[in-house]
Amino acid sequence: MDTAFAERRRRDLIVACVLAAIAATVPLFVKDVYVQNIMVLTLMWGALSQSWNILSGYCGQISLGHALYFGLGAYTTALLFTKFGVLPWFGMLGGGVISALIAMALGYPCFRLRGHYFVIATIVIAEIGLLLFHNWDWAGAAMGIEIPARGDSWLKFQFPRSKLPYFYFALALACVAWFVTWWLEDSKWGYWWRAVKDNPEAAESLGVDVFNSKMGAAAVSAFLVAIGGSFYAQFVYFIDPESVMGFQFSLLMALPAVLGGIGTLWGPMLGAVILIPLTELTRSYVGGSGRGVDLIVYGGLIIAISLARPQGLIGLFSFKGLAGLFAPKRKEAVR
Amino acid sequence: MNITRRNVLLGATAAAALGPIAARAQTSEVVIGVIYPFSGASAQMGVDAQKSFETALDIINKNHDFDLPLAKGEGLPGLGGAKIRLVFADHQADPQKGRAETERLITQEKVCAVIGTYQSAVAVTVSQICERYQVPFISADNSSPSLHKRGLKFYFRAAPHDEMFSAAMFNFFDAMKKKGTKIDTLALFHEDTIFGTDSANTQLKLASERGYKVISDIKYRSNSPSLSAEVQQLKTANADVLMPSSYTTDGILLVKTMAELGYKPNAIVAQNAGFSEKALYDAVGDKLEGVISRGSFSLDLAAKRPMVGKINAMFKEKSGKDFNDLTSRQFMGLLVMADAINRAKSTDGEKIREALVATDIPGEQTIMPWKRVKFDELGQNNDADPVLLQYIGGKFVTIFPPQAAIAEAVWPMKKNAALQ
Amino acid sequence: MTAETIIQSLASGLLMGLLYGLIAVGLALIFGLMDVVNFAHGEFLMIAMYATFFLFVFFAIDPLLSAPLVAAALFVFGAVVYLLIVRFAVRAKANAGMVQIFSTFGLAIVMRGLAQYFFTPDYRSVTHSWLGGKTVSIAGIYLPVPQLVGALVAIAAFGALYLFINRTDFGRALEATREDAGAVALVGIDKNKVFALGWGIGAALVGLAGAVMAIFFYIYPDVGASFALIAYVTVALGGFGSVFGAFAGGIIVGLVEATTAMLLPPSLKAVGIYAVYLLVVFVRPRGLFGSM
Repeated sequence: MDTAFAERRRRDLIVACVLAAIAATVPLFVKDVYVQNIMVLTLMWGALSQSWNILSGYCGQISLGHALYFGLGAYTTALLFTKFGVLPWFGMLGGGVISALIAMALGYPCFRLRGHYFVIATIVIAEIGLLLFHNWDWAGAAMGIEIPARGDSWLKFQFPRSKLPYFYFALALACVAWFVTWWLEDSKWGYWWRAVKDNPEAAESLGVDVFNSKMGAAAVSAFLVAIGGSFYAQFVYFIDPESVMGFQFSLLMALPAVLGGIGTLWGPMLGAVILIPLTELTRSYVGGSGRGVDLIVYGGLIIAISLARPQGLIGLFSFKGLAGLFAPKRKEAVR
Repeated sequence: MNITRRNVLLGATAAAALGPIAARAQTSEVVIGVIYPFSGASAQMGVDAQKSFETALDIINKNHDFDLPLAKGEGLPGLGGAKIRLVFADHQADPQKGRAETERLITQEKVCAVIGTYQSAVAVTVSQICERYQVPFISADNSSPSLHKRGLKFYFRAAPHDEMFSAAMFNFFDAMKKKGTKIDTLALFHEDTIFGTDSANTQLKLASERGYKVISDIKYRSNSPSLSAEVQQLKTANADVLMPSSYTTDGILLVKTMAELGYKPNAIVAQNAGFSEKALYDAVGDKLEGVISRGSFSLDLAAKRPMVGKINAMFKEKSGKDFNDLTSRQFMGLLVMADAINRAKSTDGEKIREALVATDIPGEQTIMPWKRVKFDELGQNNDADPVLLQYIGGKFVTIFPPQAAIAEAVWPMKKNAALQ
Repeated sequence: MTAETIIQSLASGLLMGLLYGLIAVGLALIFGLMDVVNFAHGEFLMIAMYATFFLFVFFAIDPLLSAPLVAAALFVFGAVVYLLIVRFAVRAKANAGMVQIFSTFGLAIVMRGLAQYFFTPDYRSVTHSWLGGKTVSIAGIYLPVPQLVGALVAIAAFGALYLFINRTDFGRALEATREDAGAVALVGIDKNKVFALGWGIGAALVGLAGAVMAIFFYIYPDVGASFALIAYVTVALGGFGSVFGAFAGGIIVGLVEATTAMLLPPSLKAVGIYAVYLLVVFVRPRGLFGSM
């Protein structure tokens, strides 16, 4: 049992490395910036959903307010850069730390709440954040912040025309988020989280520190999401409250994980690979009609997948079989 | 990705890739990108804009006897009679999507110019991308004054911005005061997105410069379920003039709530948006007798320039609506861009930009009450004089500035109308 | 700030609050019955408003008269949504909570898309209805008639719902199913029928709200979004599972909204509602009257 689990984990890691290596070569063949843009967004949403999955999937605390951390990351970077000239790399780190601290401060009262009370608390907290930024004149309020583009620079992390640096950063972020999940899955934390998700009372009686394990999940999750937000600000060059803290961002973080398989290692990435290109392409090629057909397709797909595959699409892919290609010897052990 | 290659197959733009000289000789089609919200809360704006652009397209591509650039004859004579084709893209009011769609329009659809965007926040990112790809962008209907001050070379705006609009309002107040009307106090009522915030900031600045007292400055959340508390505060303040900057939804709710709470303002001078939309007057027009809105278009012009009425009829046939402040600006946006491409005799971005810089269209050759279309070094047309319109007897009449006015302002607005 | 302003604001807030309660009560009923939060609730409101609008435009039926028709139509619609979608969502063996959130959320998006497709995104209003624009003034305090009627409808609906749940056989079946769906099957009650009826009644209640709202509110495909979050907060504040909680929650939300708008810039008035919700659940994690 134990060895089978360890084996599966090793295979997951190998598969991930191979997939990342393949992904890294894709831009060498695909030069179209529109397609590259979709790839960047796919990786970014994959990474964000992977981070969301840590708190909501593994630990079972469903948050529909992660846009708050996304926005905090974006705003920290943009404000530090435009107001004080602090390089975005430090802003990114700062945004991550601030978000993690805020996540814990909010977690303190919120983790007492159960079920829908918790979900709605996360929604309204993010909405409060949105409204405060909307009314905060120093931070640009509704006018937003435009990040001045001054030509290619790794130092300032801006590349006005090329998508490649963003692509590789997003890929790295996705890999980090995946790796953190992979690593935590088999750590003390991973076991705690699953116990908390399945049955908090039982977990408590078995000596799991339920409260602290939720706090830990919230901090890691918020930190990674804030890095994503800060990347988004650099990528779009312009942020305003609605475009980084709106409720739709919280949903977009949850959707890939839900569609791909919530609480699974591969679900969020798989969900993003399907969902993001689909939404981008439907908007581009169906959305210009002004008749809402893109919404019908998008919503219909969400209903269909969540009803037909409640455990997520990940079940359709046999990773045992796929991984078997790389480690043929293990077939018996799995059985 | 073979869908995305479809227009390359059309041949016209494939020729453009062969080089500027070949393009000049062979282009039979000029592609222009039009980027608007076609889904979400402001989808109607995109739908109306599409009708307006199609009206302009009809005038350019077919032979019409109007004194407008490119109306006579078919297509663009400067490019051997090439026809214009529009590609519409949906930005869903999201700056990131605006960026992505602009990139797609430029790199895949091979558009040689872009027009947009309704939401000012999206215009920020769309114009950035156009600048990077050196594709000219006409900001047809964005009124945020900060847009043209960013030092972009490929940004152009033929229409007025909010500072010009608000200045017109205060000029009007000054003129009314000279005639002995009491206008001392103002109440601002504005929504909390970029449009309302920008508009209110400008109005606050102008009020303090010109010695008006703002006794109530209410910023509300757009699409609020209720505006009772806000309206109650306006009613308590009871300023001489109420100045709303609201989109259609909030505008309807504002007027209904005012009637419900028995607030009958002395005068309303609105920063267009909702107050130039047919939907608002369909809903609450009976309560708005005498409301004043700034605008850049006036059907009254049809008396002086009959073509304005005819073109409006063409638009109405497509959309079921008269031209309003937004749709008329969109119409002019495409016309100005097409005129520049025609003079550039090329689809090359830099050449079109040069042609835009050299643009000088006299006001009579537009459908607007403007002096002329001529861009300053920031790409702003400062000769686009806004007008103030008053809603009287179910239609708008121009009341300001004097050279465009056909009637005196009714002041105060009819009080009985506001209640029932 | 004069006393008149304060009284007026609170009066308006109270009327609006009763309407919020009416919008939310269907949500509370459905949740109480089967632990499902309908994330398309705002869109139910939207189609009810459109139904009222079209009955007015094409058949000249005043919203007051069409309210029962709209409620009946929504009843059918709610039951159909249960039978076609929710029935399967609650059956999900994995991630039941997520599945029901996202299947109803997907439904919300589809409904908005369909509304845009069939009704266009244009803004509609019911003009010249019997009550539209009428207002009564008592000692300088203005009470708009549509909201006043809405408040009465809300109170009547709550009363009827209370009697229905407590005094009728069907209400008792509903209550029993809520408590133990497995056991009721043994005494011959079809769980699906009860749930479908519960969804029908929940939707019919929001249908009533929509008919009243159509008198004084604009109508467009995204109109539900403005009310949906308030409805969720209202239900949660009152306590999930409690119909009376939704009623009380609505009144509190209305009053808090009006009060916040007097104390803070009105653009922040929703912050007051959200803050009160958080305060309440931090002290009482089940909401004010919640049973679970």
